[in-house]
Amino acid sequence: MKKLFGHYRLRDFKGYLYLMPALIILLVFTAYPLFKAFLMSFQEDYSIINGSYDGINLENYRELFEDDDFLKALTNTSIYVVFVVPISIVLSLMVAVLINNCGKRSKGIFQTLYFLPYVTSVIAIGIVWSWIFNSNYGLLNYFLSFFGIDPIPWLNEPDYALPALIIFSIWKSMAFNILIFLSGLSMISQDIYQAARIDSTPRLRVFFRITVPQLKPIIVYAFMMGFINAFKVYNEVFSLFQGKAGPADSAITVVYYIYDKFYNSADYGVASSAAVVLFIIIMVLTMIQRYVTRDKEA
Amino acid sequence: MRSKKPSAVIASVLKYTFLCLGAFFTLLPFLWMISSALKTPAEIIKMPPVMVPEVPQFENFSTAWSAAPFGRYFINTIIITVLTTVCVVITSILSAFAFSKLKLPGKNIVFALFMATLMIPGEMLIITNFITITKLHWIDTYKAMIVPWVSSVFYTYLLAQFFMQVPDSLYLAAKVDKCSDFKFMTRIMVPMNKSAITTIGILNIIGCWNSFLWPLLVTNKQEMRVLSTGLIRFQTEAGTSYELIMAASCILVVPIIIVFLFLRKYVLEGVSFSGVKG
Amino acid sequence: MKIRIDKLTKQYGDFRAVDELSLEVNDGELVGLLGPSGCGKSTTLFMLSGLTEPSSGKIYFGDRDVTEIPPEDREIGLVFQNYALYPHMTVLDNIMFPLINRRIPKEEARKRAEEMAEIVHLEGLLNRKPKALSGGQQQRVAIARALVKKPQVLLLDEPLSNLDAKLRISTREEIRRIQQEVRITTIFVTHDQEEAMSISDRIAVMDRGRLQQYERPQDMYLNPVNEFVANFLGMPQINMFEGELRDEGIFLADKLLRRREDMSEGHDLRNGRYRMGIRPENFEIDPEGLKERALHVRMTGRDLLVFFNIGDTELRLLAHSDHNFKKGDEFSISVRPGQIMIFDGDGRTMAKV
Repeated sequence: MKKLFGHYRLRDFKGYLYLMPALIILLVFTAYPLFKAFLMSFQEDYSIINGSYDGINLENYRELFEDDDFLKALTNTSIYVVFVVPISIVLSLMVAVLINNCGKRSKGIFQTLYFLPYVTSVIAIGIVWSWIFNSNYGLLNYFLSFFGIDPIPWLNEPDYALPALIIFSIWKSMAFNILIFLSGLSMISQDIYQAARIDSTPRLRVFFRITVPQLKPIIVYAFMMGFINAFKVYNEVFSLFQGKAGPADSAITVVYYIYDKFYNSADYGVASSAAVVLFIIIMVLTMIQRYVTRDKEA
Repeated sequence: MRSKKPSAVIASVLKYTFLCLGAFFTLLPFLWMISSALKTPAEIIKMPPVMVPEVPQFENFSTAWSAAPFGRYFINTIIITVLTTVCVVITSILSAFAFSKLKLPGKNIVFALFMATLMIPGEMLIITNFITITKLHWIDTYKAMIVPWVSSVFYTYLLAQFFMQVPDSLYLAAKVDKCSDFKFMTRIMVPMNKSAITTIGILNIIGCWNSFLWPLLVTNKQEMRVLSTGLIRFQTEAGTSYELIMAASCILVVPIIIVFLFLRKYVLEGVSFSGVKG
Repeated sequence: MKIRIDKLTKQYGDFRAVDELSLEVNDGELVGLLGPSGCGKSTTLFMLSGLTEPSSGKIYFGDRDVTEIPPEDREIGLVFQNYALYPHMTVLDNIMFPLINRRIPKEEARKRAEEMAEIVHLEGLLNRKPKALSGGQQQRVAIARALVKKPQVLLLDEPLSNLDAKLRISTREEIRRIQQEVRITTIFVTHDQEEAMSISDRIAVMDRGRLQQYERPQDMYLNPVNEFVANFLGMPQINMFEGELRDEGIFLADKLLRRREDMSEGHDLRNGRYRMGIRPENFEIDPEGLKERALHVRMTGRDLLVFFNIGDTELRLLAHSDHNFKKGDEFSISVRPGQIMIFDGDGRTMAKV
C-alpha cells in the first residue's frame, strides 16, 4: 500500500468522511462567521450589498464605547449578574439539598416539577410573566397588595423594568441549577454522610463543611454559566416587553443591542464589534471557570 | 421500626412545606397561563383576580387558533424540528464515531478545535450567518432555519463520551469478523447507545421547538413563521385579549411539556451531563 | 494450517515490545505464549491477528505471507480477553455475526451457528443476551463466534483471566477439548504458567520482547534454558541462591550440597561462585543428609511447604503432607541427583548436577 504524508496511508484518512458533514457546517456557520465578525468589526461602514467599506480602523469600537445604549447594556448586564446569579444559586442549592433528602418517589416528582421552566419556551412563558407583571390586572401586584404595597408599573417604568427581568430570570434559571446540583449531590459518596452522622455532626455543619465543598466544582460551573448566560439574555427581554428593550431601552442587553444594530439599523460594523466584545468576555469567563475547577480537582 | 424523634418530624414537615411552596411558585406561571386561557374577557380583568374561571372557556383555544395561522405555524415548527433533529442526530453519530473509534491522522488537534467552538457564543455568529443566508437567497425558506443547525458540537461531544465507553475490543473483534466501519457503526455502536442517542434527539427537539431569534431573523413572510415568532406577533395583534394570548401560549408550551414528561429521564440525564462534565 | 513467524519485531519509539521473534507452529498444534505482563506476548498475538502492524519481520500462514494482509482477510478467529461480545445481540446473533458479514444466507448462517453452539455446549442458551450468561458461558460464545467462520487459525488473548479459579480449570479443559475436536491451529496468550503447561502442546516463554525457550511443557520444566524460565515455571517457585563450586563439591554457606564425585555433569566447570537453583520438590528426606530445622510450615493441601535456612538463604522444600512436619522440627535432607541447576553469569543454564 502506498504511504502518503509520512507514515500515514490514504485509507487512514477515510475516517474524515465521517466528520465531513459536521466539519462543513462548522466551517460555514461557525468558523467563517467568527473570522468574519472580527473582520467586520474593523471595517468602517461595511455594506452588505457590495461588501465595500471605508477603511480598516477602530472606528466601530470607538462608536461602540461612546454609544450610551451599549454602555447601558453592559451596566444592565452587571446589575443582572449581581442579582440573578447569586440569588438563583443559593435558592437552587437549598432546594436541591432538600430534594436530595426526600424519598425516591417524591424526589422524582420534585425534580421533574422544578425542571419545567427549563424546557419551556422563554417566549411563551415570558408572555405569561408579562401578564403576571401587568400593573392593573397582574397577579404580582395583587399579591403585593396584601402587604400594603401600591401597584407597581413593572413593565412601563424604566426603574422597574430591570427588576422585572431579574425576577423572571431567577425563576427561569433555577431549573438548570437545581438539576446540576442534584446530579452533583448524587455523586457524593453516602459514606461521608454516614461518617458525619456517627460523629454526630450538626446538620448545618454537614451542609457547609461537607456538601458545599464537595459541590464546589459544580457551584463554580453554575456561577460561570450564570455569568455567560447573563450576557446572552435576549428572548426574556423580547417577550417581556413585546419586542422592545423595556421602556426607554431601560432593560437593553448586549445581545439585544447586537440584534438591534444590525437588523434594525444595518450597522454591521458596530454590531460586529459588540459581538467581538461579547466573545472576549465569554472567553475570559470560560477560561476562569476552567482554571478554577481544574485547580480544585488537582 | 424506630420511632422518629420529634425534631426529625418537624424538620421533615418544614422540608416538605418549603419544597411544596417552591414548587407552587415554579408552577404558578403555568397554572396562571392555563387559568387565564380559560377565562372570559370579563374575568380576565377582574380585581381581585379570579383564580379558577367559573365556566372554563375552552373555545378560547379555537378562537386563538384561528385568529392567526397557528396551524401553519405549528406545521412549520414540526417540520423544522423533525428535520433538524434527524440531521443533527446523524451528523453527531458520524462524528462521534469517527472521534471515538476511527483512526484519524491529527485526531487530537481536530477534536480540540471542535471543542473550542463550544466557547463561541452563538449570538456572535448571527450577524454573518444572517448575511450568508441573505446572499444564498434562503430568507423565508425552511433551509434557512434547518441547515445552520444540523451539526452540534455539544451533542457530538456527549455522544463521543458514550461511544468511548464501548471497549475497543468490540471494534477490533468486528474488524476480524469482516465488519466494515460503517456497518459496525450502524449495527453495533448505534443499537448499543440507543439511550444516549435518544437523549441528544430529545434535547435537540426541545431546543429547536423553543428557538426564536434565528427564525425571527430569517423569516419575513407570515406563512414561514414558527410558533414562537408567530406568538410574539399575535401578542401585539391581540392587544389586551389576554385570554387569547394565554391560550396561544399554551399551544407553544404544552406539547413540549408532554414530550418532556414522557422522556424526562433522557432530558434530565442529558442536561445534567453538561454540568458534570463541563 | 502451519504458522511461521520470522524475525517479527514491533517497535514503539525507543521501546521494542517484540524483538526479532521467530517461531514455527505445526498444523493443529496448541501453543501457549507465556510471559510476565509487558513481555510482548499480547503484541505478538495482535500482530498475528493483523490488528497491530509489525515494524519488521514476516508472518506466514502455510506458505502465504500474510504480513500485509488486513485482519478480516487472514482467516483467523480471535477471542478477546474481555470476550468483546456485542451486548445488545443474543448469543445466536453474536455467533452469526461473522457469517452475516461474509454475506452467507441467513438460513445457512443460522444452521452453522447452531452447529457451532453445539460444539461449545451452548445449545439452549441461544436466545439469551450475553449479560445473562456466566463468565465461562460468555467465553464459549466468544470461541464459537471466532470458530464459526471456519478460520485457519484461532487466537486467544488471556482466555481465562476473567474467570474465577474454579471455572478457570474447567474452561481450560473445555478449550482444549474444542481445539482437539476442531483440529485448529491455536495460539493463546497467558501469564499463568500452570495454565500454559496444562493445555499447551508447546509453550513459548517470552521476556522483554524476546523468545526465551520454545518447547513441550514437560521438557521446558525439566530443562529450562535459563534462569528466567527456571524461575517463571513452577509453583512454588524454584529456590535460587548463590552457591560455590569447590574442589570437594557444591557448597551453600559452607554446607556441602553435592560431592564432586556425585555430580552427573559439569565436571569441567571451574571453581567459583554461581547462581544456582533447586526446585522445592527436589529435596528428599535422607538420614545421611544435611540436618536442618523447619522455620515454619505451610499446608497447601496435598503438600507441605517447609521453610528453612541454610546460612542466610531461605529455602523451601515440598514434602508430602503425611510427613507431619511442625515448626521447629529437625529433619535431614539431600538434593535429588541431577537436580541442582547451575547458571552462568548471563543466566544461561550450564549444567544440572
